[in-house]
Amino acid sequence: MEDNLLIAIQEVVKTYHPANRPVQALRGITVNVNRGEAVAIMGASGSGKSTLLSIIGGLNPPTSGKIRIDEIDLYALSREQRADFRREYLGFVFQQFQLIPYLNALENVMLPLTTTRYPNRKKRAMAESVLERVGVADKRDRLPSELSGGEQERVAIARAVVNEPPLLLADEPTGSLDTRTAAEIMDLFGELNGGGLTILMVTHNRENSAYMDRTIHLQDGRLLSGAAPEERPLQETGSRDGTGGER
Amino acid sequence: MNLYRVVFQNLYRRKGRTILLICGQAAGIAAAAALLIMLQAARLELGNQIDEFGANLVVVPRNEGLELSHGGTPISRLSIDLKQLTETDLLNIEQIPDRNSINIISPKMIAAVEANHQQVLLVGVIPAKEFLMKPWFAFAPTDDPEAGQRIVDPVHFELPDDALLAGAAAAEALAIQPGDTVPINGREFKVAGVFQRIGSTEDGLLYANLPVVQSLLGRPGELSMVELSAYCNACPIDQIAAQLTAALPNGRVTALGQAALMRGETIDRFALFAALLAGAALIAAALLVLTIMTASVNERTREIGIFRVLGFRRTHVMQIILMEAGIGGFLGGLTGCIAGNLIAVTAGFYLAGITTAAPWQPALILPAAFAAALLAAAAGIYPAVRAAKLDPVAALRFI
Repeated sequence: MEDNLLIAIQEVVKTYHPANRPVQALRGITVNVNRGEAVAIMGASGSGKSTLLSIIGGLNPPTSGKIRIDEIDLYALSREQRADFRREYLGFVFQQFQLIPYLNALENVMLPLTTTRYPNRKKRAMAESVLERVGVADKRDRLPSELSGGEQERVAIARAVVNEPPLLLADEPTGSLDTRTAAEIMDLFGELNGGGLTILMVTHNRENSAYMDRTIHLQDGRLLSGAAPEERPLQETGSRDGTGGER
Repeated sequence: MNLYRVVFQNLYRRKGRTILLICGQAAGIAAAAALLIMLQAARLELGNQIDEFGANLVVVPRNEGLELSHGGTPISRLSIDLKQLTETDLLNIEQIPDRNSINIISPKMIAAVEANHQQVLLVGVIPAKEFLMKPWFAFAPTDDPEAGQRIVDPVHFELPDDALLAGAAAAEALAIQPGDTVPINGREFKVAGVFQRIGSTEDGLLYANLPVVQSLLGRPGELSMVELSAYCNACPIDQIAAQLTAALPNGRVTALGQAALMRGETIDRFALFAALLAGAALIAAALLVLTIMTASVNERTREIGIFRVLGFRRTHVMQIILMEAGIGGFLGGLTGCIAGNLIAVTAGFYLAGITTAAPWQPALILPAAFAAALLAAAAGIYPAVRAAKLDPVAALRFI
């Protein structure tokens, strides 16, 4: 099982100090995620789920605790090494798509490849291939403002996976979409997961969690359930094996 | 896809901000370029005006012996002259290689004469040249209305052969005024005018036409000295002096160091002033770039956060901002320098009252554009560092 372990989060604590008053966002979180798993992180606002995602993304050093991804101690790396790590290991999808407004769909998808040493032709081929895969190849020359919400989300997903990372981090990816489009996008995540991509998704939506292998519940910075695949989740809801979720 | 592409697409698709950046830089560069070009023309004009104001070269006979002096300039004692300057030497002066740099040639015959029982220096001059070279000469006001009507600029005053002009001190010492008659060497001269006091040795002189004085002294065609006013913009005064020395074997040429020094100091001060003004315009341009780029970074916080999340290093973010500033600066410099040239060439007279045509300087455009790019990039360092230091989590409001 250890060989299959992609993410190991050990006793992670994160304390913020707004106005010199300490606020504990995470209080000793320990979670493991295997390769190829799709995991939903759920919890009320302020429960610490987005903080956890940003820590796993190498963007937000924890106050204490360790994060290992693919055996790499993430915060033992320098800031710039973590930037390189993100480029190679991680894909990000955000709630508001976060496409660059002055780049067209193809250019947005090529963005994570910008600082790689691939020749331009290869970068272009990789981006076109992934746009084809997410179903918006015909929109490649359009600016984000010329795309619908669903199309923008597909482009954002294409950008997240263009460098073929082993891990995709998604923060409320369907939060800005209507139900039907959201379902289409979740299907797309399912397809990507089916291809072996590990997905960690922050969501409020119980229907979305149904697409995931398991769900981690957070409350007030503490883990309520779903710490590891082999452990018995206390409050696992909406899993792919059918305890409450629908596809 | 590379960083350049990201930068170009941003500049191309955000036209409003790009135009603002280019215009801001162009305005500063145009002001600096126009100022420098106009001031270059003004400096040339100032140099010429200084050169026209009095003599800066004096030629006297190459002699040994005791000398009289005039205006601090040695004049050989006439009685023991070994070599003589003649009017033929004037033709030699007009043959030197830098003859075009010579503005005025004023030959003179000077002699100590007795008038009204007093020794006084009589100077034979060509009035139109002498008083053009020395514009500080002006006639004293007179109570005689008829004489008053005759008062004109000494340059344009036609001095009759039987008349002379008197310096203020000479007129006072000889107790003469316009209309009086003065006997000199047995010949009667009518006082045609008295000059206002200047405050120099020139106040003690009498002036008559050169041929008249030569004839009076029995030395036709001979000269005591030649004063020259030369433009020193085109060539150094020492170079002209050397050419005159070679052309005048009978003459000793002296460059008036004081005049050259004054000219140099004045022009240096003027150049420093010009450089300060241009520097101020460039600092203003740099501050404008700093402001625009800082505003741009503030506006693009989220975008910069996305770059960082997608694996851009801090140095990549800095490169993007610096390249944007540099490209904007280059285009601003290019257009600004062309505009500055146009302003200086077409509006120099109206803006700075320059009558000398400001030179069109196309060779300045490319270096100015590169300098502007460097200046803008330097001004972009602070916003670039700020952008690079943005916390991506805060930038994306990820928490």
